[in-house]
Amino acid sequence: MSIKSDRWQNLLSDDSLWKSYNEYVNKWEKSIGSFLQFDADKTKGDSSSDGLLKGMPFGVKDNIAVKGFDMTCGSKILENFNCPYTSTAVQKLQGAGAVVVGKMNMDEFGMGSSTDNSALGETNNPWDKSRVAGGSSGGSAASVAAGQVPFALGSDTGGSVRQPASFCGVYGLKPTYGTVSRYGLTAYASSLETIGICAESTAITRDVFNTMKGIDNMDNTTVDYKPSGKDDTEIIAVLKVGENDLSEDVLNSYRVSQQRLKDLGYKLIEVELPTLKYVVPAYYVIATAEASANLARFNGIRYGLAQKGAETPSDLMQMSRNSGFGDEVKLRILLGTYVLRSGFQDQYYHRAQKIRTAILNDFNRIFEEADALMLPVFPTAAFRHGSSDLTQLQQKAADLYTCSANLAGLPALAVPSTIEKGLPVGVQFTAPAFEEERLFRISEKLEEIFPAQKPEGFSEEWKI
Amino acid sequence: MKYQSFVGLEIHIQLISKTKVFCSCPNHFGDEPNSNVCPVCLGYPGALPSLNEEAVFKALKVCKALDCYINEKVIFDRKNYFYPDMPKNYQITQFESPFGVDGFFNLELDDGSIKKIRIHDVHLEEDAGKMIHDGYQSRLDYNRAGTPLLEIVTEPDLVAGRDAELFVQQFRQMVRYLDVTDGNMEEGSLRCDANTSINLPGKGLGTKTEVKNLNSSRFVNKALTYEIKRHGKVIDKGGEIIQETRLWDEKTSTSKSMRTKEDSHDYRYFPEPDLPPYRVTDVLMKEVEDSMVELPNDRKKRYMDDLKLSFDQAAFITGERKTADWFDSLLSIGSDANQAASWLSGDIQKILNKEDVLLENSPFIPKRIKELFELINDKKISNNIGKEVLQAIFKEDKDPSVIVKDKGLEQVSDSGAVEKIVEEVLAAHPAVVDAVRAGDDKQVGFLMGQLMKATGGKVNPQMAREIIVNKIKLDISGDSQSRDPKIIEKGSEK
Amino acid sequence: MEKSELLKTAALAKLKLDEQEADKLAVEVTAMLENFSLMMEADVEGLEPTTQTLQQENRTRSDSPGSSNLSNDLLDRVPEREDRFIVIPNVI
Ligand SMILES: [Mg+2]
Ligand SMILES: [Zn+2]
Repeated sequence: MSIKSDRWQNLLSDDSLWKSYNEYVNKWEKSIGSFLQFDADKTKGDSSSDGLLKGMPFGVKDNIAVKGFDMTCGSKILENFNCPYTSTAVQKLQGAGAVVVGKMNMDEFGMGSSTDNSALGETNNPWDKSRVAGGSSGGSAASVAAGQVPFALGSDTGGSVRQPASFCGVYGLKPTYGTVSRYGLTAYASSLETIGICAESTAITRDVFNTMKGIDNMDNTTVDYKPSGKDDTEIIAVLKVGENDLSEDVLNSYRVSQQRLKDLGYKLIEVELPTLKYVVPAYYVIATAEASANLARFNGIRYGLAQKGAETPSDLMQMSRNSGFGDEVKLRILLGTYVLRSGFQDQYYHRAQKIRTAILNDFNRIFEEADALMLPVFPTAAFRHGSSDLTQLQQKAADLYTCSANLAGLPALAVPSTIEKGLPVGVQFTAPAFEEERLFRISEKLEEIFPAQKPEGFSEEWKI
Repeated sequence: MKYQSFVGLEIHIQLISKTKVFCSCPNHFGDEPNSNVCPVCLGYPGALPSLNEEAVFKALKVCKALDCYINEKVIFDRKNYFYPDMPKNYQITQFESPFGVDGFFNLELDDGSIKKIRIHDVHLEEDAGKMIHDGYQSRLDYNRAGTPLLEIVTEPDLVAGRDAELFVQQFRQMVRYLDVTDGNMEEGSLRCDANTSINLPGKGLGTKTEVKNLNSSRFVNKALTYEIKRHGKVIDKGGEIIQETRLWDEKTSTSKSMRTKEDSHDYRYFPEPDLPPYRVTDVLMKEVEDSMVELPNDRKKRYMDDLKLSFDQAAFITGERKTADWFDSLLSIGSDANQAASWLSGDIQKILNKEDVLLENSPFIPKRIKELFELINDKKISNNIGKEVLQAIFKEDKDPSVIVKDKGLEQVSDSGAVEKIVEEVLAAHPAVVDAVRAGDDKQVGFLMGQLMKATGGKVNPQMAREIIVNKIKLDISGDSQSRDPKIIEKGSEK
Repeated sequence: MEKSELLKTAALAKLKLDEQEADKLAVEVTAMLENFSLMMEADVEGLEPTTQTLQQENRTRSDSPGSSNLSNDLLDRVPEREDRFIVIPNVI
């Protein structure tokens, strides 16, 4: 099933529609702050006037390159950095007629689970403004939930698309590693991350994914897309969770989704992932190690923030990095530098890479018996700003259900499950590499029973 | 020699390619600053490397020429350190599993003996940009950043500065033969770092120092000779060598410390996640093998053994591959090796040097030289006229036969005609004739000279000399049968 | 983690930490390293490291120059320049 793009057909050509669209987005902006830049006109001319996604507005996480817009990555070191080129993924969407309307807020360089780590703005959850939208693609998920855009691009390094999607009650896809070009995605942890999609429906998620995927000469890690052809699922493995693993609300929601799957006729088998307890440290070792190198390029010489008054090149680099990077970024750079230092590599980096193999083996074992695996997205629903609900360390530990798919390179989809005490909660499905379609089909069946809910203030009136 | 010395080299060569190693910017020297740059080679956020197949091919050619083991799974690594000339602040290079390992190079020493120098590895990496320091600021040009660089690391099998100098020279010659680099050391297309250590015999390697950026093979020799001596002096005095990087100062002919190990880097190598491992296929290796050429030392040996050329001639001809190729193609159309070698290293080279033209760009195409040789060998022109014709080929860019015809240079070999001219010359110089007759053979040369002068050198010289000698000497012997009455007459008159 | 180790690491990462920052980060880094040490329990005997991607085929680019030249756009974004040169303080 494909989306009905006629809803968007006239958005570009009808001035009054365009105006009311702008007004609607700006009204929401006052309360949620999902955009770092909103300018619906800026790149209209770069989009094809025809195609599958004709006229469809979308937001782009601010670590993905769109020529004409800034690309800040939520960091002071790239504040006012006007991007001179466009990422391959965005180019493909523009080619299919979709229109970039702005850049979405995010945790600085994708480092965080709340978007509170953005140096350039605060984003609130459209369901409860005192709560976070999740992260690091918080702006992307919030804007979709609020109906500002039907979809937005995010990036998923350890759950950064799926977790905010779950917090905001929208669909969130992390594609198989290498299926969507990373050219133009500011690297945080190159071997783990992919460009992902937050969307208001499974159908849009599918169309956007199919538009973006494919080999790109600019990204040598893109792969031939070779699904097995078995798109329908019979058996779903369900990760066994303990009473204390999840908050009461999330546990309840998890059980509800499980029951729905049963009702839909899927055969469920309960499974365990023995390696799961090691994935968070392994993930953070690899992610920070890669980040320490990826973020070395920001040094005040060729672009971005350059601190004045430096007397040596080394000074210039240190001063610019010191004033340009936020605390969380510095912490991760230090960690990553440390685990790569000679004498420590075996203990940390090499061991983490072996755990990566172990989690992949765990998944492979499960997929010998099952077509897909269901697991939670995050142990809690959207938490409050600051660290009153979850400390930074607890937030990191909570990445365990999402980061496994990144370590293994597998596709994973967060699907809205229930509303618990006024907050959306999602559930996650993962499948073998290239089996995105399998995930979409499960998601569509659940969507028929429980479509994505809308927060108060959501309206589609402007579309009329 | 009290100590044993160990020298190893790290040689970087800039590979010839149209584009950089990880982006499609031109790999071109001498353009406006920062004009050959793009988001990839300027280290822009979001940009990714994309491997140039030509750089891979050329890297494999060098591996093959050095008889390296080719790794099945070639891995790129990130080498992390901050420096302004390196946009990403890490260099994409190869560390754990480079293209080639465990090779060797047959180094020919001054005495003609061969020494096997082991090659540790051959790896492909990206070059850095250029920094120009002027007083209070430094200016950066990233045109060179990201251009393909091949690093060749030897084991410490060299012993002295002279060995290293020879290695650099012969290695440079080899990679020029392979057409992978222009090897210009002054322009930095071939750069050399040298490390050295000394120790008492049997004690193995000592603490090493490294001398960086030696931009001529002569400096390699000088710097290493200096370092080996310096190490010896330090150890003689009971001191210890500090492991450090040093810079060679050509002005003072000394090396000075640049940085010690304490502030050396911890490069934190790890596999480059943006580039998948490269698996060298049999098909590609076959292509590499097919593209290989006979290497200079092999070719030199062949010229000496098979063609019986002298060492100097063989060394001269094999100095540049294009010269040797020219030579071979001249031989392949039937010219004699010795004649070709002596003309090439003699008169042809003389003209090229004087006119500052490369053989391959000159009007001296093998077919013409072959024709010239035939004219000489068939005695249609003399050797001396041949030299004149050679000049004319260069100046007029014409075939020798045409030149000989145009200028009427064809040699007179008709004995009747030659005799007639000889008679005239002898008649004009009776005193000299007498001297010859009296036994002063040297004076024949004078007569020959006169003869050539009179004829513009066109007379077949052998024939002319024979006739001169016969005419004068036969007269003495009194062999009337073959006497030319006119000469006798003239002689008797005296 | 010892503060001296932290500062050594910071120097490698070209970060200049003041006392206060260093103290705060030392605590956080230590906490994370403790978390990392959990990995020591994992049985990784005989496992090959997974460092790379799903990519099994060679990916290369042909050696032909690109058509667009962004160099002027890129130069426009340079903080300090002189004509076409990028300028930084002198290397001592
Ligand atoms: Mg190197
Ligand atoms: Zn480039």
